[in-house]
Amino acid sequence: MNKILLLTLQLAFFITVAPLLSGLITKIKNNIRMREGQSVFQPYYNLVKLFSKSEVISGTASWIFRSAPFVVFSSTLTAALLIPVFIFTSPAHTMGDLLAMVFIFALGRFFLALAALDTGSSFGGMGSSREMFISSLVEPALCMVIFAVSLQFGSTDISTFSGAHAISVSSIVAALALFLVSIAETSRIPVDNQETHLELTMVHEAMVLEYSGRPLALIEMASYIKQMVFFFLIAQIVFPICLPSYENLAQAFSWASWYCVRIILISIAAALVEVAVAKMRLLRVADFLEFAFVLGVIACVCAIVGV
Amino acid sequence: MDHPEIIPGIKNKFVDLNPLSVSMPYPDEVVLQIDPRDFKNTCLALHKILFSPVMALFALDERRETGNYRINAIFLDLKNSRWITASIAVAQDVPCFDSLAKSIYSANLFEREIWEMFGIEPKGHPDLRRLRLHDEVCAKENYPLRKDFQKIQYGDPSDYKFARVEGDGIFEVPVGPVHAGIIEPGHFRFSVAGEPIINLELRLGFTHRGVEKLFEGKRYPDAIKLSERISGDSSFAHSLAFTQAAEKISGALIPTQAAYLRCIFLELERMYNHANDIGGIATDVGFSFPSAYASIIKEAILQLNDRLTGSRYLRSINTVGGVLTDIDENKKQILIDALKHIKHDFDELVKMLYSSVSFMDRVDTTGVLRRKTAEDLGVVGLIARASGIPTDLRKYFSDIYKEAKLKMATQESGDVLARLRVRISEFKESCRLTEEFTARLNKGEILRTGPVSKGGSALGYAEGWRGPVLYWLKTDPTGLIQRCKIVDPSFLNWQGLSYAVLGNIIPDFPLCNKSFDLSYSGNDL
Repeated sequence: MNKILLLTLQLAFFITVAPLLSGLITKIKNNIRMREGQSVFQPYYNLVKLFSKSEVISGTASWIFRSAPFVVFSSTLTAALLIPVFIFTSPAHTMGDLLAMVFIFALGRFFLALAALDTGSSFGGMGSSREMFISSLVEPALCMVIFAVSLQFGSTDISTFSGAHAISVSSIVAALALFLVSIAETSRIPVDNQETHLELTMVHEAMVLEYSGRPLALIEMASYIKQMVFFFLIAQIVFPICLPSYENLAQAFSWASWYCVRIILISIAAALVEVAVAKMRLLRVADFLEFAFVLGVIACVCAIVGV
Repeated sequence: MDHPEIIPGIKNKFVDLNPLSVSMPYPDEVVLQIDPRDFKNTCLALHKILFSPVMALFALDERRETGNYRINAIFLDLKNSRWITASIAVAQDVPCFDSLAKSIYSANLFEREIWEMFGIEPKGHPDLRRLRLHDEVCAKENYPLRKDFQKIQYGDPSDYKFARVEGDGIFEVPVGPVHAGIIEPGHFRFSVAGEPIINLELRLGFTHRGVEKLFEGKRYPDAIKLSERISGDSSFAHSLAFTQAAEKISGALIPTQAAYLRCIFLELERMYNHANDIGGIATDVGFSFPSAYASIIKEAILQLNDRLTGSRYLRSINTVGGVLTDIDENKKQILIDALKHIKHDFDELVKMLYSSVSFMDRVDTTGVLRRKTAEDLGVVGLIARASGIPTDLRKYFSDIYKEAKLKMATQESGDVLARLRVRISEFKESCRLTEEFTARLNKGEILRTGPVSKGGSALGYAEGWRGPVLYWLKTDPTGLIQRCKIVDPSFLNWQGLSYAVLGNIIPDFPLCNKSFDLSYSGNDL
């Protein structure tokens, strides 16, 4: 398949579908709480609303504040290009591997943290410091997961292991660790709370509190895409994957629907976790992420032992 | 209306205090007229003997009648179910009195209030910043509660000086007055070292409406409506305290049926607010399922209120001489049926909360208010009970509650969990009491009309869900209100919050705050 076409297709796919995934999780959460809840398309309406609004920028903000949303958005999209969705190889697999993805995400986070400090608001500073605290614990755990997976397949390139492989103990444990990491990365309970209005408890939301209008839409979009990237990774690691051959349309269709089911299952799990537990005390998040790290180590050991 | 048979005993008891005179206008009130020079010593003695904080300390402008101001300090004598008032006259040409603040902390805010509202100086007070009036909306030298005060004048904005903590790595975090949720305005100034809070100072007064001034010159019916709107979630407790003061002055005795009805409504108000707070605590730790569950319970109680009285927030029920709404056989059935469901749902909610490790981890040992601190600050009501201070006006003052054997809920640890536990047991107790009171209702009269307009002063009080709500009322012979001093429990308890959060991390502040759940408008008046 034409490489440019594939690239465009994957970009378009992530941009159009990611908000739906977020809407879906919110819908599931609300239904568990005995509420009707907003429509699954609400994130789209929000984005349209934000894109049509003008922005307000603090007088003390510098170029960092203005550029951060673009860095965050483009880095997240770049990371999204690193995972294979439509064919075995990812559109940008020559550009980097899974480890590169970790650091591409870090780039966006770094800029967002700087931007939050830039405006000089007290909440921004709190958000940045908490985000850095959390991410310093997230990254080792994420790296362990990647090592576990690459030990199993002999490469850190996702394309090499996204082919058909049997389910193994190592990949299940790794996926579990990745799920915990994704909770922290997508600022969900018990690490952070996307729905809260309490400025003092926010982590991610505190950093973006000063943003409005289009830049805010970009940041929101980036969080939707990041979430989807993580869910796709989990799906690829834990479930044996057989990507479609496009000669046979029926097979391609059944593959696509299987993929949807997997993503929905992960979404339900994420929603259930969010409803079933309370948010942790901020400093306890370290224990939570240490647990993810330990799971990552176990996955590595399992991979070495060969189970 | 003195009670001669009791007076000698009282006189002997207070003879050491050297009062000018002792009177007992009502069976539950003792008034000591004091020489201004003895004021401080007398108050200190009362504070120590009665083991009571200054429950209210306020001034009156009596210059037209006597040429003096008057200062009243009210203490609570739980053992004898009495309120003791120490009263002094303050000459109008030298408007000052001896400050109690350095010896009794709970007098601190009251004295700042007297200073800004009357311009009477508490001599020796360490901190005379204005409390509620902000300079930009009310210029200095404006004393709104003086009788000759005409119109408020705007002033120049000036910096309010917050206590500063300095040192390496100490930051100030200003929060508010506008907050992200739909809540009232208040400014919080945190000094933090990283996440732990080293100091918290509150600045309130953003919802100051001059309610006490508004009461002046009003008649009872209007004043009752006003009292219901002072703190929207305690409408019934406020109107109850007000009507009790008015009934004491006019000598009205309410029918038994009305007394039971008042207790039922007071408990319903407690129940919906406790359900709301328990849900709020769950929301603030991001525990959304129980929070949704609690809001269902709250809504059920509000709808029950609506069906019983026509008002979800229990307004327009109290009147001088009784109540305006009866609970007939039909409504009785509605109440009993609804309570059954509410009780069942509430048990489920409690089970959910207590069985969640993640939730219990958040509330346990968070925001501890030690008993000693609580006593020193003069914290009242629910917060005091959660810190191990056994105080509940219902238990000591009301025969109806005594008859129903009210079980007071107290906890020792003083943390968020303790306050949650007090709320939970009070909710259950309220259910039981409501059922018991409902069973005693019969078809008696609910209102004895025609209370005479009389001049006089009296203290009305009710144990609302936050704690004791006090109304000190003075009327002229035609029944017009001359002075109405309101003390919402929030006024004393806000201080408790600023001590309970010390050493906790900033993200736990909303949780501590919710566990106190104080009223801004009740405090700001």
